[in-house]
Order: sequence, then structure tokens, then C-alpha cells
Amino acid sequence: MTENFFLRFMDIHIKKTKTADHSWESLVAGVQARNIRAMARLITRVENREPGWKEAMKAVYPLTGSARIFGITGSPGAGKSSLTCEIAEELVKRGHQVGIIAVDPSSPFSGGALLGDRLRMKKIFTMKEIFIRSMATRGMLGGLSQAARDVARIMDAFGKDIILIETVGVGQDEIEVVKTADRVMMVCIPGQGDGIQALKAGVMEIADIYIINKADLPGADEVMADICAMLNLSSQNGQALPPVLKTSALKNQGISELADSLLSHPAGSSKDTLRREIQAREEILSLMENDVFRAIRSRWEQSGALTAEVRKMVEENKDPYSIVSELLQQIDGKADLFSS
Amino acid sequence: MPENKKETDKIEQAEKQWQQQVIEKRVARFNLSKSPTRFYSPTSIKNFDFLEKVGFPGLYPYTAGSNPFDFWRAYAGDAAKTGYRPDWGGAGGVGKYGGFGTAEDYRDYLIRMHAMGRTGGPNMAFDLVTQCGYDSDSPYAEGEVGRVGVAIDSFRDFAVIYEPYTGNLEIDKVPSNFTINAPAAVIIAMYATLAEKRGIPLDKLRGTPQNDILKEFIARGTYIYPPGPSLRLFRDTCVFCTRYMPKFNINSMGGYHIREAGATRVQDLAFSMANAAAYIRAGISGGLAVDGFAPMLTFNAFGGSMEIYQEIAFQRAARRIYARMVKEKFGAQNPRSMMIRQPITAHIGCSSTTLQRPLNNLTRAVVGGIAAGMSGGIPGAFPPYDEPLGLGHSQEAVQLQLDATRILIYEAKVADVNDPWAGSYFMESLTDEIESEALAEMEKIENMGGAVAAIENGYMQKAISKSAYERQKQIERQEDFVVGVNAFTGSNEISVNVNRVVEATYDPQLLKTAEKRQLRKLEQLKQERNGRAVSAALSDLKKHAKDESVNLMSDICECVRNDATLQEICDVLREVFGEFQQTKL
Amino acid sequence: MEPESKIRVLIAKPGLDGHERGAHVVAYGLRDAGFEVIYTGLRQTPRQIVNTAIQEDVDVVGLSILCGAHLSLTQMVINGLKEGGAEDILVLVGGIVPEEDIPRLKEMGVGEVFTAGTPVSAVSNFIRAAVSAS
Repeated sequence: MTENFFLRFMDIHIKKTKTADHSWESLVAGVQARNIRAMARLITRVENREPGWKEAMKAVYPLTGSARIFGITGSPGAGKSSLTCEIAEELVKRGHQVGIIAVDPSSPFSGGALLGDRLRMKKIFTMKEIFIRSMATRGMLGGLSQAARDVARIMDAFGKDIILIETVGVGQDEIEVVKTADRVMMVCIPGQGDGIQALKAGVMEIADIYIINKADLPGADEVMADICAMLNLSSQNGQALPPVLKTSALKNQGISELADSLLSHPAGSSKDTLRREIQAREEILSLMENDVFRAIRSRWEQSGALTAEVRKMVEENKDPYSIVSELLQQIDGKADLFSS
Repeated sequence: MPENKKETDKIEQAEKQWQQQVIEKRVARFNLSKSPTRFYSPTSIKNFDFLEKVGFPGLYPYTAGSNPFDFWRAYAGDAAKTGYRPDWGGAGGVGKYGGFGTAEDYRDYLIRMHAMGRTGGPNMAFDLVTQCGYDSDSPYAEGEVGRVGVAIDSFRDFAVIYEPYTGNLEIDKVPSNFTINAPAAVIIAMYATLAEKRGIPLDKLRGTPQNDILKEFIARGTYIYPPGPSLRLFRDTCVFCTRYMPKFNINSMGGYHIREAGATRVQDLAFSMANAAAYIRAGISGGLAVDGFAPMLTFNAFGGSMEIYQEIAFQRAARRIYARMVKEKFGAQNPRSMMIRQPITAHIGCSSTTLQRPLNNLTRAVVGGIAAGMSGGIPGAFPPYDEPLGLGHSQEAVQLQLDATRILIYEAKVADVNDPWAGSYFMESLTDEIESEALAEMEKIENMGGAVAAIENGYMQKAISKSAYERQKQIERQEDFVVGVNAFTGSNEISVNVNRVVEATYDPQLLKTAEKRQLRKLEQLKQERNGRAVSAALSDLKKHAKDESVNLMSDICECVRNDATLQEICDVLREVFGEFQQTKL
Repeated sequence: MEPESKIRVLIAKPGLDGHERGAHVVAYGLRDAGFEVIYTGLRQTPRQIVNTAIQEDVDVVGLSILCGAHLSLTQMVINGLKEGGAEDILVLVGGIVPEEDIPRLKEMGVGEVFTAGTPVSAVSNFIRAAVSAS
């Protein structure tokens, strides 16, 4: 039935759309010149991993280093987007240039995504100090956190001095994303016990600030007590406990205190140095892992070796362990490099 | 009446045989997996208790109808001889639903209508700016002032509309309808203020505000504050109307908008009943006895689809659920509290009409009219066939619609029997089925904490969006057919000319200048009024808004009296209550 | 899995009209067609829509309008995109649009107008063809 509709719509003259006439160089130069369109375009092309993206990031990297990156995570419904919006507004009031990366999951079925975090950020859409970018997880193997890092760097190069990365704290990918931040806020809400659930799920170690949002609802004190108790239990002697703050994004309460806490954190503490080392190591390894994997995979696919081995496994019942070690041996010639 | 066990067994036995010997054979012969039709027998409604399930029209549980016959039916014969021309949406003594431009434009329109003999009370549509609690000078107002209804910025505008309503048309003689939700408290305050200035006792005022804010969050989108404070404002209007304006309906709720937004039949019924429960609780929390105000709650319409049997069953189930809920859950004793008072029963809903081959919509509307007549309402063939072609109906489409309704009433005589389906094995079984599914959904919402909670957490909004999408996919996959849209289309299509001469009720030139004229008036108002009195009234409102237990109506009336603008009043409440934030899809 | 380029679409409701069914259905449908859909909810000013479109670097802006103000609202969005140097973003309109207004919208630069009864698959096919043709 749809044919006649398609006919109706397809024969019309199609307008030109996005042209890819911008070179990487001109986009990076545009970012430096604070051209918003250039930044948005560069982000797209880097996120798409278009050929040449790594060279572009090499050009971007020297322009970065002045931004602080704050991660915001928590369970669905905790009010992260509203809180992000309020924090951004508060930071702009204090003279900052803010970039926001809002991450939502891609559909595992279609690869598409419904990116709706902006729904809660309407009032900052037209503030020139704020740039918001919605990002889908796109099912990239460990690639999401790298892509988020890249986007944050482009925003940094543009001149955003604070970057907020907002993501749901479920799923390993999303947790990896907030780990790329300098400081991580964990958002809980009264009543549902979800906050505590998330803590158990392993976000506990990475959060630097705990926030009880919607604190005007009944049960806020209970959640606060729960969190404090947990932090006390797991703290090591002499280690300062992370702050636990109450906010209400809806009523704009506690936002200023939260901003104080975020900004007061002295840069360059020993903990920070350690964190930066961990992050650097992870980034190097993840980029390398990605490149090595891609190189090997494409070689196997192109040579037909992968197809052949798949058939052997299915038809001849060959074990996958041997398949992999043999294939790796062929590439390297040295079994000991890949054997473990 | 106890069932005759032997008799039942006999029928059951016969049915089983029929299934095996007739149905299964037939199904096999056409190579089907199951029968495309169904048949209902006494086994479909075992232990059916007529008095408990149906009863008589006008008696609890109102399954067979809220009234044995309505006003229009009583005088249908007279109307036929006089050429009486009913106005759609103009039930109960109000004129045609409308409104455009500035108050002056709308006033002049009403004067023209009066000259034509259409003297019903104003049945006001407000522009979206007013509906969302803004003034005409708000940045949100650009391009929208006076467009889908009249622009009201202050009491002065409101009073202008009523200039022709004097003498025989004085507001103690004709009722008014206000299709307003989020700022309903302000409009009701304006109406009360008008009466006060004219020296008319408030208890003489009649009319209906829509005042159904909960469905705005779910379906129509003209909300302002979060659901909690919005319901508090409803409570305040409910208490105010009950105390001072006892002849004035408190609201006009319904599921029509919810269905049009994509809800399934069961969601429509469950959500509108859950909303009704929230309103009743709000009234009770305001210190009212349920029988003190429930008789003044009304419904506009719910339902809306082409599935005629289901829509009839839906109306029957709705009447029964509401009656039982109000009686059993809220302890009402007055029968009037328990009945659904609504001008329209079953109908097809505007979303059943199609842009493709628009004349088919007349056929569709007639089907809806039959369903309406069979479910206790006026057999209105609604809407006019050109509904999906754009805003506004042609004279021809309206004439055909009116005549279709007349043919159903006078020639087909569909409205001569109350609940003609009562006792039908099929209809009673279907009514039970819809009822029990809706009750289960209502319980789910109740367990969430009621309608307000189910809106705050986005449950209702997400549920209907998903249903709308499912419906769309069904049509695109051709699992369900819409003639001329996804079925029976092709190169043999004949193009049928459609008359699009739209009744020139609204002067397009006036619309063009409405915004400018409205801005000038607003500016003038702000210069002329007593600024100090305005600030004082607004600051009192603000102070009291912070205390949930205070009824805000007298403060709002004071603001209105002193020419505070609608947005100024709403802004004060925005500051205290916050604004509603949509949930993610 | 290899990352790939995705078509990005902004579905926006300009003005105060609150009927969201069409916007929701199209948003879901385009997501299921593999697009990244940014949905910004009700009551968007043309300025907000333009800023979002540029920041999100979308290929397409889909405006859903049912209040009769489609001509002025669409014009404001198109002007804003032009001012922001983003006139290459494809603008589509959906909702209640009388037939006689469709040519006027196209003159303004609207790529296509989708009225009631349009299958979402027609919208997604149109977008895919338009975006890949560039």
C-alpha cells in the first residue's frame, strides 16, 4: 500500500542537504575561531569515525587542557537532565562557558536512538554560553567513552571551560563514560531506593559527590542516611568522605551549593594525579585495542580466513580456542606474544 | 434469577457440537487457522444478573443510560417542524463553540449570531496563549494571538465579550461554556467578578468550564504547573463553585482527547476514570461532601473509533464503572452524583477521519451517529466530512452532517429505544470485558498512587504514545485496514471534487491585526490601572499560594478585580508551584 | 561493531500547540528506521529550534504543527537557519496543513509536507533519499 505514497514523495526534486565540503582543517580552524556550526560538524564527523578523524583529533588535542569535565550519572528518573540544566545555568551565572554531552542509549534492534534529554533543558537552549550535544551509545564496543572524550575535547578546544557529561548509570558503557570525567556526581532520589541500587552496581567507587535530588519529596533524609552509612562502611581510615548534597532541580534548591562543591575541588591533588594516570592508561589502551582489533579483523575478513574458520567450527566441530591461537600465530609468527 | 443448571448444560453441549461439526469444518474448508467471525450465546454471560449489571435507564448502575431520554429527545418532534438548527458543541443552551481574535472581534461575531437568532450563551474557545497562561505580549504569543480562540489578557477583555449579554440574555439567564484548563481558576474568577459588577447573585450563574487539567498532561499539552499544584487549583475552584455558584458545573472531563492522542479503548476508559477519581478526592480534601459537589461534575465525551460495537459497549461500561466507583469508593448516596452527565456518547473521533477521499468521512460519521444513538446519546454524525482538510468546515459539509443526524433521528428512528443492546449475549459480554480490563488498568494506576503519580512518572503519557505508535505500525503493515489509506488504493482512483467554501465566520483581515490591537489594549491597561493595588493583590496571592491549605479563589478574584493580567496571576503561581516538565518518551 | 554515520533528525513542535501524537509516532518510527532522533517536546520557539538544529548538527528538522500557524512558524525557523549559516539543513513539515498552503511552504524552502495518513515509512524513505542524495 505504501508504494503510491512513495511515488508521491519520491519523484519530487530533492533539496540539497548537508554538504561535506568542509575539510578537517577548516573545521578545526572553525572551532578555534569559535564557530558553532564548525564545532557541531566536527563533532559529527569525529563521532562517525570518518577517515581522517584521528588526524583531526591530533590537531585538536594541543588546543585542549583548560576544561574541567564533570560526569553526572544516576538511575533513570532521578532528574539528571533537569539537574544538568540547573547546574549549567548556575555555572554560566558564575562566568563559565559550558558544554553538555547528553548520552542516551541506541536501540539494539534498529541502531537508531531517541535522544530526549533536551526535553528538560529548554530554558538553556538559547544561552550563547551553553552548547548541548546529544549522543547515542551506538553500540560501540568500549568506543562510547572514547567518542565522549573526543567530543569533550572538541568543546574544550572551542573554549568551553566546563563540560558536563550526563548519562544513565546503568550498563558498563555508560559507567565507562563517566569515568572519563574529572569529577563524578551520582544522583539519587528519595523513595525508590534506586540510588542505593546503583551504588551496589559499582558506581560507588567512582562517585565524588552524592546528590539527593528531588529532596523536597518525603524520604530524602532516609536516602541521605543510607548513603552516608554506606560511605562510612567503605571508607578507609583518614580518607575524607565525599560530600552528600540535597538538591531540587524543579525548585532550584541546593544548586548553588552543588556548584560551590564542584568548583571548590582543588586541582592537582594526589588523588587527581592518580585518576589522571588511570584515565590516560585506559585511553591509550582502548585506542590501541580498537586499532589492533580492527586491523586484525579486517585482515581476517578480507582474506576469507574468518569465514573458513567459522565453517570449520560449525561443520567439523573444531574448537574456537585453537582457531584463534592459530590465526594469531599466522599474523605474528610468534605464538608467545598472543598466548596467555 | 438463578440459572437453570440443566438448561445451561444443554446449551453448552450444543455449542460444543456446533463448534466441532459446523465451525471447524467451515474453517477447514476455507483453509483458515480460525474462524473470522464470532457468535455469542448464553454461555458467554453465565450468571448474568440483569438488575446488577444493567438495570433501567436513569437508574443505578446506569448501564442502560443516564436518563431515559434527554432534553433534545423530548422536543425532537417540535424541532423538526420549526427547522431548528442545533449547533455542534452547543448543548444545554450555549451557542456554537468558537472564538477568535480580540474580545471585540468575538463580541461582534456574537452580535451577528444573535441577529441570526442564535442566541445561546457564549461557548468560548481561547487562544493557545491564554490557554497556556500567557499574555499577548509574551514572547510565546508571537503569531498565536487570537488564532484558535479569543485572546483574554485581563478582566477588561472578558467583560467586552459579555457586552451583548444583557436583558433577556443576561448572565443569570444564559449559560456560558469556557474551554479552559490550566488557567480555569482565573476565568471562573472573571465570570464571578462580572456577575459581582453587574449585581447578579453568583448562585444564579450557569455554565461549564472544561477545568480538566489532568488530561492536558496526558493528551492536549496546555498545562502550566506540575500535576500536584494543578489539582490543588482544581480543588479551590471546586470548593468555590460548590459554595457560591451551585448551578455552575465544576468541570467537563473526558477521555476524548486521551483517545485522540492515541490511547487504546481500555487506556481511555481507565485514565479518564482515574482522573475523575483524582478530582473527586480533591473535592473531598477541600472539605466537601461527595454528594455536595459530584452532581456538578460533567463529562464532555470519551471514546472515539469506528468499531461500533466496541464503542457502544465502552459507553455502557463507562457509565457502570463511574456509578460504582462514586457510590462504592466515595460513598455517594445522591443518584445524580453517580451518573455520567455528558452531551455526547459514542462517536468516531476526529482521528478516524481521513484526508484521503474525504467524502468517505460522511459514511464514517453516520456509523458514529448510529453508535451514539444506540448508546444513549443524540445520534450525531460527527464530525463534518472535511474535518481533516484543515481548520474550519464548509457549509456543505456542515449541512450534510446535520441532515445525516436528522435522518438517523427521524427516518431511521435510532433514538427511540433506550439501550437497544441490553441483554444481548454479545453486548453484555463485551461490556463486561471492557469493564474488567479497564478496572485492572485503574488498579495499576491506583497502586502507583493515583492519576497524579501516574502523570508525574510519565506512565500515562508513555503508554498512549506507545499505543499510538503501535496503531500506526498496524496500519502500515496492513494488519488493520483504513479504506482509501492503506487499502483499496491504486491507479483507478477517481478524484471527487470537494466543496471547500468555509463559512466566513471569522474575518481573516481581523485576525491579521488582532495581535497588534491586543498589544495596544494591554499597554493601555497597564498604564491606566492602579499599579499598587495590582501588586498588593498579587503579593497576597503569592503568600497564600505557598500554604497548600489555603483556597486561592478569593485572592485570584481580587487580582482579577484589580485588572491584574492573566499572565501576571499565572506567573505568581509559576513562581510558587514551578512549571511542569515533560518526561522523556 | 563498526561505528557508522547516522542520519540525525530533530523533531520539534514550534508554538504552543500541544498535540503531540504525530510527533511521537514519527519520532518512534524514525528511531526504528535507524535514525538518531532528537525530540525536544512542546512549546519550542523558532530560536530554540534553530539553536538545537545547529548544535546537534542534524540533517533534517521536522516541524509538527497543528494549530494553523504553520506559515509564520515555518518561515521563522527557515530564516533562523539561514542566519545561523545552516540553510542546508532539510526542513520538513507535518500536521494539519491545508492543500493550498503546501506550495507556499515549498516556496519558503520546505522539502516536503507530510499530512495525515502519511506512513512513517514514507517519511523515513524520503529522508534517506534526500540525505544520501547530497
